[in-house]
Order: sequence, then C-alpha cells, then structure tokens
Amino acid sequence: MKILNNLAKTKFWQSVFRTKLPLSTNLDRSLVIFNSLTLHIHPVKVRLRAIKFSYTFYLGMISFFLFFVLIVTGVLLMLYYQPAIPHAYRNMKDLEYVVSNGSFLRNMHRWSAHLMVISVFLHMLRVFYKGAYKPPREFNWIIGIVLLVSTLLLSYTGYLLPYDQLSYWAVTVGTNIVQYIPVAGKEIRFLLLGGNEIGEYTLVRFYVLHCVVLPLVMILLIAFHFWRIRKDGGLL
Amino acid sequence: MMEKNNSGMKKSNSENKINRRKFLISLGNTATGIVVLGGIGVTFEYLTPNVLLEIPKVFKIGPINSIQPNSVIFEPEQRTFVVREEQGSFYALSAVCTHLGCTTKWNDIGAAGNSAAVISCPCHGSLFNKYGEVLQGPAPRTLDKYRVQLEDDKLVINTGEKVSEDEMILKV
Repeated sequence: MKILNNLAKTKFWQSVFRTKLPLSTNLDRSLVIFNSLTLHIHPVKVRLRAIKFSYTFYLGMISFFLFFVLIVTGVLLMLYYQPAIPHAYRNMKDLEYVVSNGSFLRNMHRWSAHLMVISVFLHMLRVFYKGAYKPPREFNWIIGIVLLVSTLLLSYTGYLLPYDQLSYWAVTVGTNIVQYIPVAGKEIRFLLLGGNEIGEYTLVRFYVLHCVVLPLVMILLIAFHFWRIRKDGGLL
Repeated sequence: MMEKNNSGMKKSNSENKINRRKFLISLGNTATGIVVLGGIGVTFEYLTPNVLLEIPKVFKIGPINSIQPNSVIFEPEQRTFVVREEQGSFYALSAVCTHLGCTTKWNDIGAAGNSAAVISCPCHGSLFNKYGEVLQGPAPRTLDKYRVQLEDDKLVINTGEKVSEDEMILKV
C-alpha cells in the first residue's frame, strides 16, 4: 500500500491517471470512474441486485466476451487465410492439419461464433421478458436489434470463407433469398456476389464484410449500446 | 456585441427573409448533399464490376448423331440438361432449381413414388418431371427452358434466351 501511495505521487502516474490518490471521499471514488475512458462504461453506482447472476444471467457480457474472443481468434486466422478461390479451401485445410494449434484456433472461432448467436438471442429474450425495451430504453432496444442482425450477418459471411460445398450452396441459397427483396432484390444480389454467380469477387466481398465492415459496425454499436445502458438508468 | 444585437433583431423582425447566414447555411448544406449523393453514386458504380469472367452463355454440344435417343447430357458448367427424345427431338432445360438456385439432379429411374424420370433438388426436395414441370414443391415454377438451335451437326444452346413450352423442342 505504501509503495502504491508513493507510486501515485510520481509525475508519471499523475500524468496517466487524472484522479489524485489516495481516495478519501465518495466524490473521489466516483471521479476515478468518470475520469477513465476504460472505466467510464461502468456506472458510478450500481444497485446490488443488478450484479446478481439471476438478474441478467450476464448474457450481454457473455456475448461481448465471445465477440472479443472472435476478434482475437479471427485476426490470428487471417494470417493463414487468403480469400481467393485457389487458396481458400486449402488454407482452411492447412489450418486444420498443418499449422500448429490451427485447428484449436479455428474451432475456438467456430464455437464462439455459434455460442455468440445463442447468447445474443437469449440476451434479447431476457430483455424482452423483463420489459427492458420500454421507455426510456426503446432506442437501445433498436440498437440491440441491429447488433443481432449484424451478428447473424457475421455468421453468414463467415460461412462462405472455407469455400467448401456446404458454404457454396448455403451462399447460393442465401443470395437467392436476397433476390426476393422487392424492387432492388436482383441488384442487391448482384452487388453482394459481384456478379451473377458465386465467384472470385464474391469470396473477397464476403471476406471484407466479415473481417472489416461488420466488425467495425459491431464495435461502434456495442460502445454506443453500453453507453446508452448507463444513460438510460442502468441495467433493468 | 453589436453583431449579436443586430442578428437578434433581424431574427425577430423577419423569420422567413433570407439573410447572409441562412444563405450560406443552405449553400453549404446543398454542396454537402451533392457531394454525399455523388459519393454514394460513385461507390455503387465502383461496386458493380464491368468485366465478369463468367461462363459463356452460349455453348455447343454434338455432333447430334453421337447423342443417344432417350438420353440426357448434363453440362455442369452451364448447369443445363440437354435431352434427346426418341423422335430426334431435342430440348435444353436449366438444372437450376427455381426455388433457391441449387443444382438439380436427373434421376432416370424416378424417385418419390414416380416411376418416370424425374429431376430432383437436393436442397429442399423439389421435384420436376422431365419437361421441368413441378411435381412437388417448394419450387414455385417450372424449370427454365433454353433455345436450342442446329448449327452444322451440332446443337447450340443459349442459356441467355429462355423460351416457352411451345418453342422448347427442336425437331431434327
């Protein structure tokens, strides 16, 4: 404790952390949260029951944790994967059988993805049955819906990347469903596929959506989602 | 201080009159709008490929003497069945299921209680007869029929040209 106190007096510490130590009042304690970018998504105060497991089942946090796992494993998988038809399937097989711990990483990515869809869905159910979509939280519910759709789209775009029979036909069927959208269906399908059939462009497009566009959307919306929880009066 | 008073007075006098500030704001908004719309347009154009290295729509098959009567040739690249019936009549049928686009399979011995040849889809179980008519859903309509023409002794099939039932058969 003494070492910590001395450390807190150094110029370095004070340049990193804005709140002066030691903390003596409740105001000081709340300032620690207010003055930190990483901590300020936490509320200054929580009701005791809100941190009980049975209150939320931690479903939102579990979803976020799985998203984090997916980012880490996904980035690592990207290092051995080339989104081109001659390579994609072979790279996936190499990850399974040649690369050290490749199959572990790939399975971790795969299972986390499945679990994330389940946990996001359960999270939505919990919020729904608790009535937490009601004012003033209705906008956060909408953001949640967009996050659910993004999760499903991430699952779907990731499905093509191994480029095996399963992915090929799943994407054929999926993009044909897109075709039934009124007015712009055919155009959306063409833009999505980058052509009339699944091909080289399709693989790259799905790869970019899966690795760049959708994760960015997710990160921004998750940050906003968390912030709104605090602003709308905490967990319900 | 002077400016603040002036603008305050003007605002209360004439809400709808265009003053310099309103003019510049709408000019700026219009310019931004044009740039944004243009940007969206340019992006959409960029996302639409101009050159596609896809399989050609027209293909040849033959010579017709080598195609056995009552036989089917499946062209996997073009996803097309080319059928010869007994009387030297030919037709070409798309193998793409009209439901959600899977490739169907021709079963000569029939399937699902049909003794005649059927075309079946592995994805959601649609069933068609040998002329592409729906026997069993979920396919919403008959398989596409393509124009077949004779060139020298070969059949030329154009998968870009769909024809009706009356025109589908080429008699030789």
